Amino acid sequence: MYFDNQLILILTSGLFTALAASFLGAFIVVKRMALVGDVLSHVALPGIGLALLINIDPIYGAAAFLLVAAFGTWFIEKKTALPPDAIIGTFFTATLALGVLLVPNQELFESMFGNLFAIGFYDAVVIVITSIIIFVLTLILSRRLTLSIAAPDLAKSIGAKPDNSYLGFLLLFALSVALGIKLIGSILMGALTILPAVSARNLSWSLKSFLSFSVILGVLMTGLGIIIASAFNFPPGPSVILSGILFFIISLFFKKS
Amino acid sequence: MSHLNQKHHEDHEHGTVPILNVRDLSVSFDKQEVLKDISFSVNEGDVLAIIGPNGAGKTVLFRVLIGLIPFDGEIKWREDARIGYVPQKLFEKAELPLTVKEFFILKSKNLFFKDKQLVESIFHELESIDLKPEILNQRLINLSRGQLQRVLVAWAILGHPNVLLFDEPTAGIDIIGEGSIYNLLHKLQDERGMTVLIISHDLNIVYRYADKVLCLNKEGLCFGEPKKALTSEQIERLYGESAFYHHQH
Repeated sequence: MYFDNQLILILTSGLFTALAASFLGAFIVVKRMALVGDVLSHVALPGIGLALLINIDPIYGAAAFLLVAAFGTWFIEKKTALPPDAIIGTFFTATLALGVLLVPNQELFESMFGNLFAIGFYDAVVIVITSIIIFVLTLILSRRLTLSIAAPDLAKSIGAKPDNSYLGFLLLFALSVALGIKLIGSILMGALTILPAVSARNLSWSLKSFLSFSVILGVLMTGLGIIIASAFNFPPGPSVILSGILFFIISLFFKKS
Repeated sequence: MSHLNQKHHEDHEHGTVPILNVRDLSVSFDKQEVLKDISFSVNEGDVLAIIGPNGAGKTVLFRVLIGLIPFDGEIKWREDARIGYVPQKLFEKAELPLTVKEFFILKSKNLFFKDKQLVESIFHELESIDLKPEILNQRLINLSRGQLQRVLVAWAILGHPNVLLFDEPTAGIDIIGEGSIYNLLHKLQDERGMTVLIISHDLNIVYRYADKVLCLNKEGLCFGEPKKALTSEQIERLYGESAFYHHQH
C-alpha cells in the first residue's frame, strides 16, 4: 500500500467523483444514452493535450472541451434531429484524432486510464466541492428530468422545459467526467457512470430505489477498486471498472422482472 | 348538459367569453400541411368531440393547442384556462422504474422537497377516478391499458385544471373499460364543470356525450352540434367507405 495520506486523498476524491457520476449515470441509462456518455468522455482528450501544451492543469482543459461538446451536442440535436450518439460519434472521432496528436504518450495513457499519484491535496478539494455541487444540482433537476424522459409532452404541458433540463443534465455530466479524468481516466469514466446504474436497475423496484442503489453501488465499486489498485499497484481506472462488473454480475441474480 | 352550461354562465364572470377560440389555424411539417385553416370555439363546460380518420391531424391539433408545436393563425385560451392533457399513450421505456405514486409526484411544482399538498390531492383524484390507493405502489409499466388510462386522467386533473384534453387511444381498451372511462369524463364534467375536448373514434360517444363536434381531415369539415353537423352525408365525406362501419357499432 502507498502511504496513508495519499490513499485517503485518492479514496475521498474517488468516492465523491463516484457519487456525482453514478447519480447522473442513472439518468444516462434510462435515457438510453449509455454509449453517448461513453463517447462524450473521450472528448476530454484534446482538452487535456492543449492544457498540457500551455501548462495548465489538464482537468480544466478537459472540462472546457467537455462542456463545449455537451452544449454542441444539445444544440445540433435540437437543430437537426440527428440522434445524439451520431453527433457525439462525430465529435469523438475528431477529438480522439486531435487528442492523440496533442497529448504526449505517458500523459495520454494516464488520462485514458487514470493515475493514483496524480491527485494532490488541492485536486482533492476541487473534486470534492465540485462533486457536491453536481450532486445537488442533479437532485434539483431530477423530477423535471425524469418527467422529460418519461413523457416529454406531459412535461411541456405543465410548463416545464425539457430542452433546458436536458442541457443542464448534459453540462453536469460533462463536468463530472472531467472530475474523473485524473483518477479513473477518460476511457473508463463513461463506464463509471453506466455500471452502477445498470446494476441498480436490476435491483430496483421504483425510481427512488433505482437512484439510491445507483449511488450506493457507484461509491462501493469505486472504493473497492481504489483499494485493490493501491494494494496491487494497478492503474485505478481498470480496477474500479472491474469491481463494478463484479457488482453487475451479482446484480443479475437479483434481477426483478 | 345545457342547463349545466347555463348555470356556469351565470356563476362565472367570464361566462360569455369562450374558453378557447381558434381562428384559421394551420400547421405544417416540412412544408407539408397537416392542418389547414381550422376555426372553432369552445364554451366553458362544454364537451367538444374531435373526430376524423387516421392521419387527419387530431393529435396534432391537441399538441398545437397546448403549445408543443409552432403554428400559423390564432389560438386564444381564456386567461383563466388551466389545461390538463391526457395523451393517447405514455411511453414504452421499460427501463425507467417509476411507480404510479412517483409518476404523480413528478407533476409537483416543488423540484425537490416533499409536496404534502400534492400527495394529499393524489388520494382525492384517485378516488374521483375510481382507482384504489393500492395502485400507487404499482409499477407504471405493469398497469393494464385501462388502468394506465385512468392514471393518466388522474394525472391530468391533479391540481384541478378547468380544461381537459383527452386523446382517446385508437385501440386496446375493452368495451367495458371504454364505457366507464366516458362515464368518468362525464362525471368530471358534471361535478367540476370542466370543459372537455376529446378526440374520439367512436361516433356513439360523440352523439351521447358531446355538445359540439369538430370533423377534421386536415381541414375542418364540420363544426356544430352533433345532430345537426354530423349528417350521414358529412360522415361519408369524412370517413369515406368505412362510414357505415363506424356508424353502427
